[in-house]
Amino acid sequence: MTDAPIPARPPRGACLLAAGLMLLASQLAFAHDAIPRLPNGKPDFSGIWQTLTPADDDLEPHAARKDAAPGAGVVEGKFIPYLPQALAQKKKNFEARETADPRSKGWTLGVPRGIYYPEPFQIFQRPRDLKLVFQFGHTVRTIHTNQTEHPDVIGDLLSGDSRGRWDGDTLVVDARNFTDQTWLDRAGNFHSNDLHVVERWTYLDANTVEYKATLEDPQVYSRPWTLGVILHRHREKDFQLIEDYRFTLDFDQYYPPKRDKN
Amino acid sequence: MDTPMTHRTSTRPHHRRAVLLACASLLTAGTAHAQTAPTQPAATAAPVVDKSIPKIPAGPWQGPRLPDGQPDVSGFWGPTFGSYLNLTDPEGISSGERQRNLPPREQRAPSRVSEPADGQVPYQPWARAKVQEYQTYYSNPIKPEYVDPLARCAPPGIPQALYMHGHEIYQYPGYVVFLFDQGTRIIHLDNKPHLADNIKLWNGDSRGRWEGNTLVVSISNYNGKSKFGRSGEFVSENVKIEERYTFDRDGKRYNYEARITDPTVLTRPFTVTVPIRKYTEADKPRPVVYAVREAKHAGKETIIEYAEERACIEFNSGHAHLPGDAAAAR
Repeated sequence: MTDAPIPARPPRGACLLAAGLMLLASQLAFAHDAIPRLPNGKPDFSGIWQTLTPADDDLEPHAARKDAAPGAGVVEGKFIPYLPQALAQKKKNFEARETADPRSKGWTLGVPRGIYYPEPFQIFQRPRDLKLVFQFGHTVRTIHTNQTEHPDVIGDLLSGDSRGRWDGDTLVVDARNFTDQTWLDRAGNFHSNDLHVVERWTYLDANTVEYKATLEDPQVYSRPWTLGVILHRHREKDFQLIEDYRFTLDFDQYYPPKRDKN
Repeated sequence: MDTPMTHRTSTRPHHRRAVLLACASLLTAGTAHAQTAPTQPAATAAPVVDKSIPKIPAGPWQGPRLPDGQPDVSGFWGPTFGSYLNLTDPEGISSGERQRNLPPREQRAPSRVSEPADGQVPYQPWARAKVQEYQTYYSNPIKPEYVDPLARCAPPGIPQALYMHGHEIYQYPGYVVFLFDQGTRIIHLDNKPHLADNIKLWNGDSRGRWEGNTLVVSISNYNGKSKFGRSGEFVSENVKIEERYTFDRDGKRYNYEARITDPTVLTRPFTVTVPIRKYTEADKPRPVVYAVREAKHAGKETIIEYAEERACIEFNSGHAHLPGDAAAAR
């Protein structure tokens, strides 16, 4: 015989309730922990990313062309609200796109184009900043996340000046100080050096990020407008960026010196 | 540029122009010394330059570590002496530079070739002839191959990037990342296999590992297209390079060593050594070497951030910096 008290058996309903609560709690915990995080608890976007959409062919809805896959468009409201003169410029750009697209010369893609260009880019993240290294051009864009602000005096930059803050688990980036030397896609959609971009980066799950960019440019658009794409994490074994300095291909053959053939 | 876009006068910061001018001067030989070269006599007394190569023995790391265990060597770094213009005589006169009075050779900074002992690259005769040919025609590039790839916005490559201007080191779990003015190197620490041999890269394909205070990096897939300076030294696409970055215990210096093996152009391997120093908040900003600014923010502490854009600015304006003839020679 033992003196140990026999535990009272709890009512069956309470067990089910407790089990249910535990399951719910674990699901909540899973939802919270499912995305990668830095030690400071902020979402960690480190990784190699790429979109699957044909956004770079043309941000607006378009049927198949010889130089573009068809696409339903990634612009909220379907079309970019150009001012009349800017729309005329866009049409000129479209006609000249084969040679006039800065990308065809291997130049820096800029913001937001680098994000949905059909080549991977890698994010390296620390609490104070994110470095985005683009395979195309191998250029680097910094997003500061250390409560710093845009500098008072700054020139025009190909990738602008980017300052980020956290809205819950969403990274909100304010980017400005752009040149007018980049396009938005291969169809000639463009901006001026008054471009101001607000990006929102949000994990949908551990390997998928929703990217939205709102573009404001009073020289070119009649109102701010928003585009959105989904970014997927590259998970292929041993995947890595391979630098794409396309602009060097024109003079690639002149180097290094070769031994003369006798 | 013939794109149907509007143009606007650049409002880039002044020191960005210094980079542009330095690049442009690569081709306006004899008319301008690169503004970035610390060998240029200054109007005021020049600071005393430490031309020594400090002894930093390889050994255990005793400094701070990052949460992933790597020695923490993040920050701004730059070469301690000389310019990138001349590999074997870093304070000497290089291709396209005006003649000027120099102190005797033994008073100038040592060759960056630390081995063999004569400080020269052990070239096969045909390769040495190519270097001399490049030097001869540097000021008058009658063929496209005499134009420095740097002037075309190509990355400075390995090892030139380490002694051209300054650089930043970033560290992340599994990676060490080097950011240069033109060019970025991602050092993979996970020992993944190298890319297939037919892929050739301006920055090579790098695998690294920490051995105590030393980052050891093996480079393959290097395209050999960058020069080692205006002096024109080069290697081939068959080169293999092993680098050793040995950091001192107080985080102020590191020695860079590149062991370069290339049977296509060399008679034997050689070593390039570059002493490198840290730049911190205590240092004044310097164009291209330590081009930083104080970040604007509401707090009281000083936050330093890089003030430039890491893209070759010429690269989005065609080859406007090239003289007409050289551009036409393309």
